[in-house]
Amino acid sequence: MMQGPLKPQFTGARVTRLEDARLLRGRGRYLDDIDVPGTLHVAFVRSNRPAARIVSIDVEEALAVPGVYTVWTAEDCGITMYTERYDVGQPVLAKDEVRFVGEAVAAVFAEDRYVAEDAAERVRVVYHPLPPVLGFDEALSDEGRRVHAHRANLFHHTEHQTEGFAEAFASAPHRAQATFVTHRQTGVPMEPRGCMAQLDAATGRLTVYVSHQSPHQFRSQLTELLQMPENQIRVIVPEVGGAFGIKAMLYPEYLVVADAARRLGRPVKWVSDRTESLLADAHARDNRHEVEVAFDEEGRILAVRDHVFGDTGAYPFLGFPGAVGEAGWATSMLTGPYKIPHVSITVDCVFSNKAPEGAYRGVGGPVGAQVQEGIVDLVARHLGKDAADVRRVNFIRDEDFPYQTATGNVYDPGSYAESMEQALALIDYERFRREQAELRRQGRYLGIGICTFVEPSAGAESEAGSTPYEAASIRIEPTGTVTAALGLGPSGQGHETTMAQLIADQLGVDVKDVVVMHGDTDSAPFGGGTGGSRSGTIGGGAALRASQEMRQRLMKLAAHLLEAAEEDVELVDGHAQVKGVPARAYSVRDLARIAYTDVARLPEGMQPGLEVVVRYQPPLSTTYSNGTHVALVEVDTQTGFVRVLDYVVVNDCGRLINPMIVEGQIHGGVAQGIGSAFLEELRYDDSGQLVTTSLMDYLLPAATDVPRMRVTHIETPSANVGGFKGMGEGSLIAAPPALAGAVSDALAPFGVFVTEIPVHPQQILEWVQGRVHSA
Amino acid sequence: MKPISFSYYRPKSLAEALDILAQEEEAKVIAGGQSLVPLMNFRLSRPKTLVDINGLRELAAVEADGGVLRIGALVRHQELLAHPLVVQHFPALAAAAAEIGHWAIRTRGTIGGSLVHADPAAELPAATVAHRGVLVLTSAHGERRVDADAFFYGYLMTDIAPDELLTAVELPLPSGVRYGFAEHARRPGDFALAGAFVEVAEAGHAGAVTWFGVGGRPDRQEMELSPDAASRGRQFAAALAELDGPEDEVEARYRRQLAAVAAEQAYQRAIASGRGN
Ligand SMILES: Cc1cc2nc3c(=O)[nH]c(=O)nc-3n(C[C@H](O)[C@H](O)[C@H](O)COP(=O)(O)OP(=O)(O)OC[C@H]3O[C@@H](n4cnc5c(N)ncnc54)[C@H](O)[C@@H]3O)c2cc1C
Repeated sequence: MMQGPLKPQFTGARVTRLEDARLLRGRGRYLDDIDVPGTLHVAFVRSNRPAARIVSIDVEEALAVPGVYTVWTAEDCGITMYTERYDVGQPVLAKDEVRFVGEAVAAVFAEDRYVAEDAAERVRVVYHPLPPVLGFDEALSDEGRRVHAHRANLFHHTEHQTEGFAEAFASAPHRAQATFVTHRQTGVPMEPRGCMAQLDAATGRLTVYVSHQSPHQFRSQLTELLQMPENQIRVIVPEVGGAFGIKAMLYPEYLVVADAARRLGRPVKWVSDRTESLLADAHARDNRHEVEVAFDEEGRILAVRDHVFGDTGAYPFLGFPGAVGEAGWATSMLTGPYKIPHVSITVDCVFSNKAPEGAYRGVGGPVGAQVQEGIVDLVARHLGKDAADVRRVNFIRDEDFPYQTATGNVYDPGSYAESMEQALALIDYERFRREQAELRRQGRYLGIGICTFVEPSAGAESEAGSTPYEAASIRIEPTGTVTAALGLGPSGQGHETTMAQLIADQLGVDVKDVVVMHGDTDSAPFGGGTGGSRSGTIGGGAALRASQEMRQRLMKLAAHLLEAAEEDVELVDGHAQVKGVPARAYSVRDLARIAYTDVARLPEGMQPGLEVVVRYQPPLSTTYSNGTHVALVEVDTQTGFVRVLDYVVVNDCGRLINPMIVEGQIHGGVAQGIGSAFLEELRYDDSGQLVTTSLMDYLLPAATDVPRMRVTHIETPSANVGGFKGMGEGSLIAAPPALAGAVSDALAPFGVFVTEIPVHPQQILEWVQGRVHSA
Repeated sequence: MKPISFSYYRPKSLAEALDILAQEEEAKVIAGGQSLVPLMNFRLSRPKTLVDINGLRELAAVEADGGVLRIGALVRHQELLAHPLVVQHFPALAAAAAEIGHWAIRTRGTIGGSLVHADPAAELPAATVAHRGVLVLTSAHGERRVDADAFFYGYLMTDIAPDELLTAVELPLPSGVRYGFAEHARRPGDFALAGAFVEVAEAGHAGAVTWFGVGGRPDRQEMELSPDAASRGRQFAAALAELDGPEDEVEARYRRQLAAVAAEQAYQRAIASGRGN
């Protein structure tokens, strides 16, 4: 019925990103570029104790600093972000007690940030220290203090076991066990978080600018917590310089800023500095998986038992307590691309006196993949088999789709085995194995790690909320150019380009004639935003559906004007013409002019103007993309340093909208994976202080740490509109296990098997020199 | 991450700079700002007055004179690593300067700032100690010359007085000895975890190793360097055991191991530098 154009020109092509002209020239306008006269700048006084009762807060000296407008504590702003399910609320300014280092205790409002920080130093908080709770075991022990006095630290417990697990496990010929640990990490966007709010004196409406991923969800949360009508709040998300999930969360600072703007009657602005970011942005990945695997002689995995511990920190983020999200994803995807018939899964999530955990790109995916690939490598080790062969024995094959996993997911078709075979061919696996043996004799230790990942994408629920659809509005302006608006919240992914590609193809116009807007709740239709790898798939589906509807309108109008049947009209190169007769044509520009200004010529019943709004909910509740990453590393056994020598990715995210953008996403994810596997760790000391509070201590991969990588594609289309599958997270899901596996492989002669990331060089030397043993 | 408020001077002559330093309390010199500004933004350093010496072009020269190379305090790392006199006489110093931070940092950061800041993992303090340099410190009361070995006290601590300006460092032109340098950093451009300058006599086995990144200051130890690699390794390990390391045991062991690896590489480079001539 709604036939696409015969030759899509833009969809699938390497269209140069429309955003880059401004971004690469430094012309993007970010939150901190918004500069309104009379703005009050905020500095937060943050707790320097992991756990303490607040005895008193004295703001007198701070108020006396010239240029200070006022200082707020919980007494002045009593908003609490309350999660009914766990009966825990986070006051936006700490009330009575502080529960992590970095928790906001007071807010100073001043004429500039310098003065605000001068005054913040002069706020005197007297604390009565309490013993901090700093890890799973402490949180769970009977002696451990309660982080929230009125409730137990264990706040989330689930168990799931397949029928017949016990027998399958007990009767298996082999069993092995390992404990996998991922330390705390976070997404580190180049642009830190920030928020600015301003009351419109004329209308009384509150405009809130925020660096965020879900403009509408953010507005809904403000509506509720500020108790303001939805139409009195306008949320504007300016250019966002990276988000990675951490900007999908609702943070206390935003509520303080918004509340102050409306109550103080002045514009108010706060931009996080890097130390605040490391202290109080959503943390992630603080997980332990105690795993046992049962398998047969061939390496076929028969059953897996996993007991997961997750530390969510002091408070649950509204709608997304990180540890629950992570454990949920990790265990749901535990069997990855493998046919593992039996699982037994126990999840325990606790509160602790550390920063709250939320979403970070991939959520539990990287941790689950670490377990999923770890057990396969473990089985290979035990049986003395090749790691690729053990994968071959276990893969879900083409004939198995749709495949229902032991954890209850239904996978749509993918290319698991094929992606691995292609990746191994790209890296020339057989030759590598020969070279590896030869080099080992020379004292050089190279290794290969493989991760075949399955990425659940475009799910009904994600950190971006539970909006299972996306919306697109499309308007053809009276002169024939196209303006579209979506409810997405991009942060550099290039949605303005990919959405324009889809729309341009449907309407037969140039991609440069399509302007895609987003991020302003006054102009964008209500949508879910960006997160959970949903934008390309669900957003793309909405763009496609809306432009198809618009296309029909154009065809109908053209047919009427040309006095032809609709079936005989085609849309090519910006013209609607009678098929094969370019002489009988109307340009889109003419059609638009007629639709708006010459309405007497419209067919009976057709509304003037050219504007549609469409909401699209995909038929699949989740569509699964996949691929294989292979990392080749060399470990220097004198220094403990790991160098990534080669890296290949075979990716399958269904139909590609723009391969260049997909590859860019993969490059970034692998870079973050290198950080995750080797560099990044948020470290708390024994007294509960975060010791990695600058980028001197929280190490990020630099350009020189990231190898040139080779990326190729397989396209196994999804049943969703357009055949797209999401792919925002797969690269960061797959890279850490591939890299960790490569280190295990390189150091196999020393009996090293990596189960904990990040892997530090001093750790590697301790292993190699036999001082400590790995799992 | 904003500094406290401060007054700012940009003197036009050395005399004016020294006057300001003599008169203003809690004044600090700012050169490249690559160490000072981060500290000020963290409010770990809280000077009331900044004396910007970037206008004093007389501090920016490199000249060879009477058997010494005199390097002005304002010489940037990026100039140092490429300067013909440095490359000719002090190739190990040039190599070390190339390992400092990144290009943007090297075009601002100065040798004077690096020496006065005295980070124990910094390249240039160690290079100055290794080459037995002399620091020229000037104040309104006159000039003082201090051996590099005596200048560095410990972690970020030196012999400089608040009213003094480091104007230059003088390195005696080497004769009959060769130098090699190596270091290991987590990522290119990071401060080294550990590193070493090794000095070997052109005749005989006399030599010295200057370690950095292990203890709180660069340490120069003279030793007969065995021609046998295994014995050299033991010598390095024994020498390193004498240094105070970081508190954490694993960390200390790791840094000593890296330093030993660096020393061996530096030794090989020193030997190889002779073959080229
Ligand atoms: C990201 C990053 C990475 C870095 N990596 C390295 C590295 O790998 N190795 C390394 O060695 N350094 C590194 N640095 C530091 C850099 O080398 C600095 O340039 C150097 O330490 C200080 O020089 P400066 O001219 O910037 O001094 P400033 O920051 O201006 O001053 C530093 C201190 O010296 C004092 N001072 C400066 N000049 C004089 C003078 N002539 N007389 C008296 N006092 C003076 C100042 O008062 C201040 O106390 C790095 C810096 C950054 C930001």
